[in-house]
Amino acid sequence: MPLLFPLVVSSVLFGIGVYIVLARRHAVLVLMGVELMLNAVNLNLVAFDAWWHDTLDAGQVLALFVIAIAAAEIGLGLAIVLLVFRTHQHVDIDRLRELADRDETGAVEADDDRSVVS
Amino acid sequence: MTVVGLVALLLAAVAAVVVGHRDDRVPPLLGVAGSGVAWLCSVVVGALHWGANAAPTVTGSGRIETGGLPITVALRVDQLSASMVVLATTVALLVQVYSVAYLRGDPRYPSYTAIVSLFTAAMVLVVSADDLFVLLVGWEVMGVCSYILISHHWELEPARAGAVKAFLMTRLGDIGLLFGFFVIGGAAGTYRISGIVEAAAAGRISGHQATIGSLLMRCGVVGKSAQFPLHSWLPDAMPGPTPISALIHAATMVAAGVFLVARLLPVFALSDVAMTTLAVIACVTMLGSALFALAADDLKRVLAWSTVSQLSYMFAALTLGGYGAGVLHLLSHGAFKALLFLAAGSVIHAVGTQRLDGMGGLRASMPVTFVTMTVGYAALAGVPPFVGFFSKDEILGVASDQAFHGAHGRGWLVLVVGLVVAGLTAAYSTRAWLMTFFGPRRGDRTGVPPPEPGWLMLGPLVALSAASTLGGVVVVWPSFLGVEREGWHLGLVLVSLAVVALGAALAVAEWTRLGHMDPAASLGRLRPVLAREASYDALVDWTVVRPGRWLAGLTRLNEIEVVDRYAAAGDIGSQWGSRLVRWAHNGNAQRYLTAVVIGAVGVAVLVGVIGTGGPS
Repeated sequence: MPLLFPLVVSSVLFGIGVYIVLARRHAVLVLMGVELMLNAVNLNLVAFDAWWHDTLDAGQVLALFVIAIAAAEIGLGLAIVLLVFRTHQHVDIDRLRELADRDETGAVEADDDRSVVS
Repeated sequence: MTVVGLVALLLAAVAAVVVGHRDDRVPPLLGVAGSGVAWLCSVVVGALHWGANAAPTVTGSGRIETGGLPITVALRVDQLSASMVVLATTVALLVQVYSVAYLRGDPRYPSYTAIVSLFTAAMVLVVSADDLFVLLVGWEVMGVCSYILISHHWELEPARAGAVKAFLMTRLGDIGLLFGFFVIGGAAGTYRISGIVEAAAAGRISGHQATIGSLLMRCGVVGKSAQFPLHSWLPDAMPGPTPISALIHAATMVAAGVFLVARLLPVFALSDVAMTTLAVIACVTMLGSALFALAADDLKRVLAWSTVSQLSYMFAALTLGGYGAGVLHLLSHGAFKALLFLAAGSVIHAVGTQRLDGMGGLRASMPVTFVTMTVGYAALAGVPPFVGFFSKDEILGVASDQAFHGAHGRGWLVLVVGLVVAGLTAAYSTRAWLMTFFGPRRGDRTGVPPPEPGWLMLGPLVALSAASTLGGVVVVWPSFLGVEREGWHLGLVLVSLAVVALGAALAVAEWTRLGHMDPAASLGRLRPVLAREASYDALVDWTVVRPGRWLAGLTRLNEIEVVDRYAAAGDIGSQWGSRLVRWAHNGNAQRYLTAVVIGAVGVAVLVGVIGTGGPS
């Protein structure tokens, strides 16, 4: 199998992941986008490992590490999302703007017209 | 011994400042003690070095490597140095003694006496230095000291203005002096004065180098000795305490300029151009300042202009090669001008004003001051047997030798102007003398005749009048200085005596004709012109001060409108930049991430493009 196929698949997966992370407003979906990007990388690792015929199979080992860390990361991420939902009653990333640079009045000096939940 | 004297003066200066504020009696004692020790040392120095064949003493040989010609920290005392040291320390000692009474109770006495000591030490350094830069150190220290002392009464506006003027004008000349030193040092291959004089005598300095160097050094000399066109600071320095005027005019500061020319006369003599310009400057200054003295309303101003005029006599003598005549007149002028200023101080102390129209009729109540000041005026005017007569005759003798037998045309110039000024000197001396001591007491409201000051002030007067009376003996036999007197010019003596008598007689005649009023009134329309000093200050104001102010304004405008605008632009730019950053920092995490991804992709593309050698 030529190397090109898995690479194209993983690029597409990565692109979709990036798009989801940057464009979706729901926090759980954003986490899923992150997962997609991680798995695109995993696919790359495995594909190159097979192509190089690596005697130590370093690519596959690293992919296993990434899966383990991704599991931990998604646990942490979902916990944060849960806490955000408990405090804000929503998980809409666009409306989570407490870190914005504010004037003392509390208003965000923002260009968009969306109201801010505080 | 010179070093011991210097150290004594400096120690006195430091001690007066450090402990002087604890007790009022300490600073006068310290000042007098320091000057006394220095005076004793100077007498020993004089005794060791006077005489036709006395060998000079060189002290110290520390070399300071400069990368170019080394500077040698050395003192060299010969007949000229010894004479100047004795003059400086004697006048300084008398001034210190006099100041004890004159400035009694002055809150700034400790610093005053310290600066006077430092001033004297600087003059001693100047006259005994064997290196141009050691000389320059003393020269500049004197400049600073004179600035401080002239502004002693700094709460008065004229004192501050006079001090600033003195400082600026002498500094202006000193720029030329420094570069003159470079030129002469470079030409002679050494900065040692003895080496330079040797090189000049051996013909190792070309006429060209001597001309440039002498003309540059002349700037400094002209500034320090208040010659035209830098003459106007000296009369404006008169708001300083009178003992300081005595010190500046007689023994230090202005004498340094004459001394420098005398010291480097072999170099100056190589350049006919420098000598001729100096002679013309001297003659212009001599005549102008004598005329100004005739119309001045202020006793100290009369004396100041007379100093300027007498210094011109010395320069005129030196430009004709009359080394002995110039130096002897410097010494004799030191004695009688110190006397005149200290006597004037005594008068001012008693009357409470410096203006001539506030004096008059003081002869009866101040007999000692009257007699001593008469001696001073007689010496200034050149009346025999006082010292000024002999030294002035010496100068006129040199001038007539040059005029009748010499190759230089400047002999005639000096002779004619010198004789005219001799008459003018007699006239203004007589006028000031009459207005101070004769006629009715003017401007007096109390009706009590001012009393004679105490003996602390009269003592120096008596000592100096003795020197002015007997000094003629020294001038007639000047072998102590290592020079020979040229002999009497009987015809010239008679002519100059006639001129002096004519000047004095005119002043007396006008005084009687006007009924014991100011003889200057008969100058007519000339009087206001002379009293304004030919509007020289206005000329300087228009040609130097106003353009200078205008340039300063331009610089200020540039500072505010151009340079400050850059700083303001930085301020505005960073404000806009921060607004931009703030707009980006709106709390939307996805937008941050978008920026990061765009940046990463951009960097990746750039690396791809550059890494592969461009999109080819």
